This record gives sequence, C-alpha cells and structure tokens, in this order.
Amino acid sequence: MLELQDFSCGYGGTAAVESLNCTFAAGALTALLGPNGAGKTSTLMAVMGHVAPMGGRILFEGRDITNRPPVDRSKIGIAVVPEGRQLFGDLTVEENLIVGGYSLPVAAARAEQEQVYSLFPRLAERRAQISGSLSGGEQQMLAIGRALMAKPKLLLIDELSLGLMPKMVDVCIEALTRVRQNGLTIVLVEQNTSRALSIADHVYVLASGRCVMHGSSAEVKDNTEIFEAYVGIH
Amino acid sequence: MTGYHLSLISLTGIMIVFAVSLNMIMGLCGQVSLGHAAFYGVGAYVTAMMSAGGVPTLYALPVGMLIAGLMGLIVGFASLRVRDDFLAITTLAVGFLFVGVVRKSRALGGEFGISGIPESGLGPAGDAFLVAFCVVLTVALSVYLSRNWTGLAFRSISANEEAAQTLGINSAHYKLLAFCIGCALAGLAGGLYANYARFIVPGTFGFSLSITAAAMVVIGGIGSTAGVVAGAVLLTLFPEIFRFLGDYRMLVYGALLVGVMLFQPKGLAGIPSMVRRWAGPR
Amino acid sequence: MYYVDLLISGVAFGCLYAMATMGLTLVYGLLRILHIAHAALFTLGAFVGVWVFNASGSLIVGLIVAILAAVVMGCLIYRLIYESILSQPPYVPLLASLGVLIFLQDGFRIVFGEEGLTVRHNPFYMANFTIGAFSINVIYIVMAGGALISMAVLAFFANYSRHGIAWRATVSRPLLAANFGVNVIQVRYAAFAAGSALAAIAGVLVALMNNLVEPHSGELISYKGLAIIVLGGLGNMQGAFIASLVLGIAESFGIGLAGRYVDRDAIAAVALIATLMIFPNGIGRART
Repeated sequence: MLELQDFSCGYGGTAAVESLNCTFAAGALTALLGPNGAGKTSTLMAVMGHVAPMGGRILFEGRDITNRPPVDRSKIGIAVVPEGRQLFGDLTVEENLIVGGYSLPVAAARAEQEQVYSLFPRLAERRAQISGSLSGGEQQMLAIGRALMAKPKLLLIDELSLGLMPKMVDVCIEALTRVRQNGLTIVLVEQNTSRALSIADHVYVLASGRCVMHGSSAEVKDNTEIFEAYVGIH
Repeated sequence: MTGYHLSLISLTGIMIVFAVSLNMIMGLCGQVSLGHAAFYGVGAYVTAMMSAGGVPTLYALPVGMLIAGLMGLIVGFASLRVRDDFLAITTLAVGFLFVGVVRKSRALGGEFGISGIPESGLGPAGDAFLVAFCVVLTVALSVYLSRNWTGLAFRSISANEEAAQTLGINSAHYKLLAFCIGCALAGLAGGLYANYARFIVPGTFGFSLSITAAAMVVIGGIGSTAGVVAGAVLLTLFPEIFRFLGDYRMLVYGALLVGVMLFQPKGLAGIPSMVRRWAGPR
Repeated sequence: MYYVDLLISGVAFGCLYAMATMGLTLVYGLLRILHIAHAALFTLGAFVGVWVFNASGSLIVGLIVAILAAVVMGCLIYRLIYESILSQPPYVPLLASLGVLIFLQDGFRIVFGEEGLTVRHNPFYMANFTIGAFSINVIYIVMAGGALISMAVLAFFANYSRHGIAWRATVSRPLLAANFGVNVIQVRYAAFAAGSALAAIAGVLVALMNNLVEPHSGELISYKGLAIIVLGGLGNMQGAFIASLVLGIAESFGIGLAGRYVDRDAIAAVALIATLMIFPNGIGRART
C-alpha cells in the first residue's frame, strides 16, 4: 500500500528522517514507535506532503507521490488524524465533518457522515456544537471521524492516546478495530508503546531519524532488550 | 556650495535623524510604529511656537525633544498593553489624532499652520552644521545602543519577548525606553525641520510622512543603523535624483517600494552579504 | 431630530465601511497580510464604474464592469505581489502593499487626471426620501441596503455552503484544510475576488454620493479598513461588521458633537485607541 524507499526529509536543510525504508502492507495496522524526536511525526507529515523530501521516494499503491502537493494526496485516499487533533476550532462538529468529506461528491459525503455518526453516536449528539468546546476524548473522536469522512484507503494517526483518559483511548481503539474490518490500512504513531504493541500487526522502531528495528509486533515484543534500549517501557 | 545644496544637505540630515529614531523603535525593539510623524510634528510645533514667542532655537529644540519624548512614553505605555498588528494600528491612530487635533486648533494656527518662524541666527551654514551635529549624535547613540547591552535587550525583545522575560530582561522597561528615546529624537528632527522650513502646516505630519519614515527604515534594512542612514539619504534625495521622471515620480516611488520588498526584503543592508555570497566560493 | 440624523448617517457610513473593508478582513483571515492596497481597488471600482456609467448611460453596466476590473486587479495583486512574500515578516507585505497603493493612486491621477471624474447624470444626487418629518438622503438607503444585502449573501455562503465551510476551515488551519482536498490557492483567489468586488461596489456608491471620484478617494477607507479588521478581531467577519457600525456611528456623533475640536479621522482614531485600550485583542473573539 505505502512504501518509503531510502527516504529522507527535513526542515530547512536539516534532516529529520534519514534513509528510511518502510513497507506498510494493505489492510495492516503498522505502528511507528520511538522516543521523542525520532522522526515519527516528520515521517507522517512527509507522507501528507508537509515536510520537504530530501531524497528517496514515497510510493502509494505503486505510484510515486514524493512530490505531489497535499491537495492531491487526499484525493488518492490518504487521510490524517494529526497530533493534538487540530480540529477546525471555530467550526461546528458537523462542519468539521463536511470539510473532512470535501473531496467526495455531496451525496457520498452525506452517506459517509451518517456512518461516522453511527460509529461515534456522541458526535451526533454534539453535531451543532463548536468543536473547540468539546472534551479531549470527543475531539479525538471528531478528528478520527473527520479523517474517515474522506473514505481513505490509508489512515495516518499521530498520537492517538496523547492526553486522553484510558477509557477514551479504548473507545477510539474499538472504533478503529471496527473500521479496519473494511480493509483500511492504518499507520499509527504512538508514545504508549504497550498499547500500540497490543493492536499493531507490524512495528517499526525509529531513533534519531533512522529505523533501528522492525518486525511483527510479536517479534518486537520478544526482542525486549534492544527494544527497551531504544524506547523504554511505558 | 550654494544655498540650494546646503538646504538639501540639511533636509537629508533631518530625515536621517528621523529615520534612525524610528529604527530604534522598529529595528532595535521590534515594535512597529505607523504614526511616527506625530512625534516629529510635536517637536516641530513646540519649537516653532517657542521660537515665534522669542525663545532662541537652541533652547527651544531640547524642549521640543522633551515633550515629544514624554508623548512617546505615553504611547510606550500603550505598547505594553497591545502588541504586533494591534500596536501598529494604535500608532497609526495616534498619527491621525495628532493631525486631526492640530488642524482644528486655533492656537496652533489650524489648517494654515505657523508661518514666519524666526531664524535661529546661526546663518545657513550654521544651521546645516547644527543638523550635521545632531545627525552625528543620533547615529552614535543608535550604534552605541545596538552594540551595548541595552541594545542586546532591545533585540531580544524583538526576537522573542517571552524568552527575553524568562531571562530576567524586563521587557516593559526597555520598550518604554525605546519609545521614549525614539520619539524624543523624532521631536528633535521635527524641531530642526521647523527651523529649516520656517513654515509648518499640519498636513506635513500626516500618514504619508510616517510611511515614508517606515519605508526608509525597511528599504535601508530594518535594525541596521548604516542601512537606515542610506535609506534615508536615498528616499530624501529621491525627488532630486529622479527629477527627470517629472510627473511620474510617485508612480516610480510606489514601484520601487514594491520592488525592494519583492526582491530585497532585507533592504540595502542586505546587499553586502549578498555580494559576498556572489563573489565568494561556491 | 438632529440625533436621529446623526444616527442614520452613522449607520449608512458604517454599512459602507463594512462592505468596503470586507476584503481586508477576508485577506487578513487567510494570509495575515494588512492589505492596504485594497483601498486602491475601491478607487479603481469607482473610476471604472463612473467612466462606464457616463459613457453608456447604464449604471448596471458600469457596476458590472467596475466589479470585473477590481476582481482582476485584486487577483493580480495576490499573484504578482503577495504570493512570493508570504513567508516574510509582516512589515514586508505591508510595505509592498503600500507601494502598490501609492503606485495605483498615482496611476489613477495620470490616467483620469487630478480632478478625477464627475458623475454626469446622477439619479441619487440631492435626492431625498421623506417620511413625515424625516428626510433621508436616498443614497444613504442605497448604501446601507447594498451593504446589508452583500453581507447577507456572504454570510449565507460562509455558513451554509460546502465551499464556504471549507473556506472557514482554511482560515482556521490552512495546511490541514489542504489535506482534506481543499485547494487553498483557489480559496485565496476567491477571497481576493469577493473582497475586491465588494470594494468596487462600495467605491461606485461613494462616487454616487459625492457625485465625484478622485485619485485619492480610497483614502476614506485605507487606514480605517486596517482599524476595522483589528477591532473586529483578526479576520472575523461578524466582528468586522460590528466594528464598522461602531466606527461609522462614533464618527457621525463625534463630528456632530465635537467637530469644532477634531476632524473625522481623529474621531475614528480616538474611538480606535479607546477600544484597543479596553480590549487589547479587538472586539471580536481572538483566535489562538
């Protein structure tokens, strides 16, 4: 589905990610783990087109999208749940969803909106509320719902559990498990490693912008010594 | 040297003092002011009124400076409350307020201003020397401020106010100081102008003069004293240099402003490093 | 009676300011640029509108051509000037914008002459509308009505259409809006086009009111426009509308009551300074 080949990117000439080789299989949930500043968010942002590539390629369904503008990437089926939710804070819940489905035809977006409301009934109750005034958990639901509105093939999630109560994390993970049944591919960046290992199929561990280990989550769990050295136990 | 040249040199010197004074607020302290002409006007009116009342110019000038500096202090207090774009607009409003009040004030001559301001008694060469002396003083102060620790504090406020505060730099103190010194020097420039022109009208001290000063600072290179001096010289002599353009001068002036912002936003001060980059090894 | 007259002219001017400066609000919301050259689009609209009206005898044709001219010029200013300096510190686009204003104003002087253009057959000149003891200048009604209608259309678009919602999302988070398929560049052109069109209409209305358009007519709104967007709270449309009304009414009463001591611009300045000292982040809700 998504492939990074010898990929480097960074800000203002300084590399945040160097020579990364990753493959994200269709239908799988792949976790990117690693300490702060390892380059996880930069990798996601590069896939969304917001970090300048400095070498290598990004392939999506076999097509080179390394230099495509962000607008195009949403149209080919990539959506993001950004770090810290980043809702359109002045807009209502429903308006956030409408923007999420902006690249779909109107009728399809309407249908998708009902899907999101049935996935998160809480959002349906709050549909006319200004999104900036939602609770943290509701905001994360809305951020996920907004991304799902675009009917993506690939969903990028940056810090699902950050700042959320454990119960809310459960709600979000359960929702993701449900949407995965339709074959959605997910890339998850997460600080909460044990949570991530429990749901991921495959794991890449990043440190200082490089991939230091990868494998199925079972393999990574078995290899605890190396893993702990890089990530630490949470 | 003819009287015409002397007069041109005086005017250029006055504009250097004025532009450098604005640079102390904008360049060294990062506080955008779009109403600087008001303080120039305060200096001009105080000096003109006192001279007309029989006070020698050399005594009137410092009084004009003092009053302009005090007015600057008041606006400085406003700058503690509002910032960035809001401050730019507040200073803009101060500029309009000044002109609006002077225009309607019968004591200050209203729309017709003050004419027949007596001569300083120093003669044309003496006046030019006085201006030159003020230019040297202002430029020296500006260089001194930007080099020594006060300048360091100014610039750290302009770069990042919160960080400066955590380092124990009292930003309020320095902002007030910057406005006070900058406006006092603008008042000095205004006083020199009143003495130079011997006839002042409120329209002179309006928005376009404030913008001209800001343009001198930015075209010269915001924060660089040498650049701002060059900017002031260039824009003051602009009508003389481009006399051949005749009726199209303002058109070219506008285009020049746009061109500099598009292609050389660091102003004239950015040119040496650009030349070095071209000349240097690749 | 006197105070009612002041209120009427204040509201009429407030509506006019709102329409004329909406473009500044839209541009500031999207790009954080103090687009002072917008005042020149107001003048351009007035010149083109009056010229075509005089030549063709049709006000509607004049208005349409004026709108087209202002829209094209507004989009050109974005494309040629602002697009390449968006990442510079704010004073760079501000001074570039001032340069454009100076350039265009002098251009108008050269093309149309120092005296400007007079409206030849002005249907509104000295026309009054009388109800009982009241007599209202018809142009005030047209100004207020035109402004309210165009504001209502804009508000409806922004709140109820998909594209309008996408526009507001772009104001809120431009990078992220792009990730949902919103073409940010198109949104910018739309903002420049809509704002310039409103400025052109306002320009024509003011020309009809004064029976005249001069190269410096735009100065009526140049700095007041900046004041309005700041008072309105950084690109907030409702805030800008309220700020315009407040400014119009404050000016009207200020001239009526204190016109002997200060002029119109100074009254607006006092209102502005007083408001900013009380609300340092403007009347509208400040964005984070």
